[in-house]
Amino acid sequence: MPALERLRGLRVVADPAALDAARWRGDDVTVLRFAPDDALGLGASSVDVDDEHAIVEPETGFVGAWLPIDAVVAHLEWRLPTERPTLAQGAVAGVPAKLWLPTDGDALLVAAAAYADELAERVR
Amino acid sequence: MDGRLVAFEPSDSVAVAVVRAGEAPASGGTLCLAGDCGNCLAQVDGVAYVRTCQAAARPGLQVVRHPVLEMPPLPAVPALDITATPAARAIEVRRAAMDVAVIGGGASGIAAAAAAERAGKTVVVLDAAAGVEVVAIYAGPTVIARTPSGMLHVDAEEIVVATGAAEIQPVCPGSRLSGLVTARAAEALHAAGVGLGTAVAVGSPPVGVPANAVGGTLVRFEGDGGRVRAVVTADPLTGAETTTPADTVILGLGLAPRDVLARMAGALPLTVVGDAAEAMPLPPPPTEGIVCPCFGVTVEDLGGAWARGFTELELLKRSSRAGLGPCQGGACLPHVRAWIAARTGVVPEPFTARPASRQITIAEAAADTYVDVFRRTPLHDEHLALGARMDRFGGWWRPWHYGDAIAEYWAVREGVSIGDVSTLGKLVVSGPDVVELLERLYPCNVADIRPGRSRYALLLNERGHVMDDGMILRESDTRFVLSFTSGGAANAEMWLRDWIEVWGLRAHVLDRTMSLGAINVTGPLAKTLLMRAGLADPPRFLGHVHAHVAGVPCHVMRLSFTGEAAFELHHPVDRSVELWRALLDLGHDLGIRPHGLQALFGLRLEKGHVIVGMDTELDTTPRRLGMDWAVRMDKPWFIGRAALERTAKLPDHRRWVGFTMDGPAPTEGSPIWSGREIVGNVTGSWHSPLMGHAVMLGWLRRSPFPDLVEIDGREAVVSPTPFYDPEGHRARA
Repeated sequence: MPALERLRGLRVVADPAALDAARWRGDDVTVLRFAPDDALGLGASSVDVDDEHAIVEPETGFVGAWLPIDAVVAHLEWRLPTERPTLAQGAVAGVPAKLWLPTDGDALLVAAAAYADELAERVR
Repeated sequence: MDGRLVAFEPSDSVAVAVVRAGEAPASGGTLCLAGDCGNCLAQVDGVAYVRTCQAAARPGLQVVRHPVLEMPPLPAVPALDITATPAARAIEVRRAAMDVAVIGGGASGIAAAAAAERAGKTVVVLDAAAGVEVVAIYAGPTVIARTPSGMLHVDAEEIVVATGAAEIQPVCPGSRLSGLVTARAAEALHAAGVGLGTAVAVGSPPVGVPANAVGGTLVRFEGDGGRVRAVVTADPLTGAETTTPADTVILGLGLAPRDVLARMAGALPLTVVGDAAEAMPLPPPPTEGIVCPCFGVTVEDLGGAWARGFTELELLKRSSRAGLGPCQGGACLPHVRAWIAARTGVVPEPFTARPASRQITIAEAAADTYVDVFRRTPLHDEHLALGARMDRFGGWWRPWHYGDAIAEYWAVREGVSIGDVSTLGKLVVSGPDVVELLERLYPCNVADIRPGRSRYALLLNERGHVMDDGMILRESDTRFVLSFTSGGAANAEMWLRDWIEVWGLRAHVLDRTMSLGAINVTGPLAKTLLMRAGLADPPRFLGHVHAHVAGVPCHVMRLSFTGEAAFELHHPVDRSVELWRALLDLGHDLGIRPHGLQALFGLRLEKGHVIVGMDTELDTTPRRLGMDWAVRMDKPWFIGRAALERTAKLPDHRRWVGFTMDGPAPTEGSPIWSGREIVGNVTGSWHSPLMGHAVMLGWLRRSPFPDLVEIDGREAVVSPTPFYDPEGHRARA
């Protein structure tokens, strides 16, 4: 498995509608929508979100690696969603993780950095 | 076998090879050679309880017969390091998704499979005779099978059980002799060319096996040296007994449906076909002898259990253990049912079947499962490099000590020390209704906490029981940071989100636990160290500021869990190593050293600080902890208030208190005695290097609460807490 690299971006918790309309700035930003009110903008350096009480924090607490989907499926006990692009969330090899599935190609395996070593040992 | 060479033919099972050699695979009993009984169990290649009739003989196989009267010994394994990462999985698991899983490869199973295939369905046949033993059926439905190459998990839309029928075992005196075989076993042995000597058949004779058939009712077997020499039968009309000499007695006593898997499936979509679906007559009720060969349960034992009131099949099973052994009722169930029916006039339904239906190893059971994942802080490798002994606590790997917990303790009490508290729960809450939210959630006042200040708080549930504790830190009018115990952050986040939704409040929540590292800088020289690191104006007690420390952006919180001045530095996880190393470098001449959990627990114990989850129970209230001061009953409403108000009027016989005692610290969890009665238990224990005696925290559960108790055989004194610096001068210094 490729090394899990630290991911950098902005984490935003805000009203869902405001988050829907958020304007992210940065290099090749990929927005992972963890929940209706919670998103991680990978590569984002700033964000405009129309919610004065939004929580916007620099985020370095996640790691990730691009993998062929087949390499990940072997470690799932749940079925991947069929729609693309999408974010799937669940246990990968027993470790809480997320999978960003773009329109085509490899999947981005994302996990909290606290799980990185264990995940790398299990998904080899 | 047992250290001797045993020859075998290519198609032999271990059991057949052993019988061919003139021996018995176990200490006796009727061999079925079909995997239904426990009479051929032996240790094979180090694994005990293997059904040798289902294990193929091969060169080099090591077979050790089980002891006659005792359980086989557990395999010797080297001492385990429970703190080590578990070994990689050794048992492969294959998964398959099929429309139909047919269990059993006999005529009815093959017919069912063919019918399903004709209907265009995908089918798998799981046949024990081909080495694929189904051991469990779970909801899903999922069928779990053991195969020669590992475990097989089949997700099937439909399951067909075609497992056939098992032969009835004899229950009479002498049934544990060797030389007894069922009719089918005799056929198999004969077909394999195994000589049976003088063979006598009782009941339905085997097909094609030379044997002297004797009539009458089976009475007993006679033998010597553990081997059968004769069978005694009785004329059903006159009762006259006939003794017939025999080297082998072949028993055709009837069949019972092999339905354990069908019973295990419960309401799952499942069809039973063939003999497994047949309602077959029970054997005559047994009157004497061993009913359950696995555990040696006799007819007399059943009678004793019945006399004690265990007059239902499930109760009789639990009381006598008949049916709980390795064969899971394969041998005894028909007899026990018949025995009950003779007493009640009603044939009881077979007892519940649960996975696994056959013995499997722990490795097979655990195949394809993962141990709970334990998180690592960003400083994990730093701890290892410093020689820390790591242990799991609150869902995290944490340093227990760095080789000298006492030196770590003194570094905190007299100098400066750093500890990794990255594991603490850290939530950010923000919104116009956030004060209202927190006032409702916490039993302390929140609105009067000024920005830049903080307050310790308990978190209660509706029953007034302590769920967690931590700090409330106000950053602005509408934004707070909340801290929780290491194991409590996830629950706390759900708790907040649930109530926000229930109450319809406008507040956002973000769990930063795994995004922020945290280092606790504590000791009388902590402030000196932080000023060296660039913190020009450290906050005063219960204050907090955002500032750079050693160039790292930190949220600096002044509080104390150790009893000394302490500053928690919350910072981005990608900067933790940099900050940790900088603090160690800058504090080198101050004698800085890191402290682990062992020292931390001792330090907090001297201060009498509670650790929720370790000291508390599910129904611990603030009153029981002696922490009424953390609850403002003058607030009009908060979660748990009504329960606290109601129970405050009731006597309470539990208190969490301090104890002191000379000598070494007793084991945590030790019982607390008053006279001849256990009145509580120790939750925290530490021999204080500073005070020179043991200090403890623990529960008293009998009132009036005694002043003197006995712990670990020694007198202990109930003592007020904190044991150390009760006025809190050092923490505020």
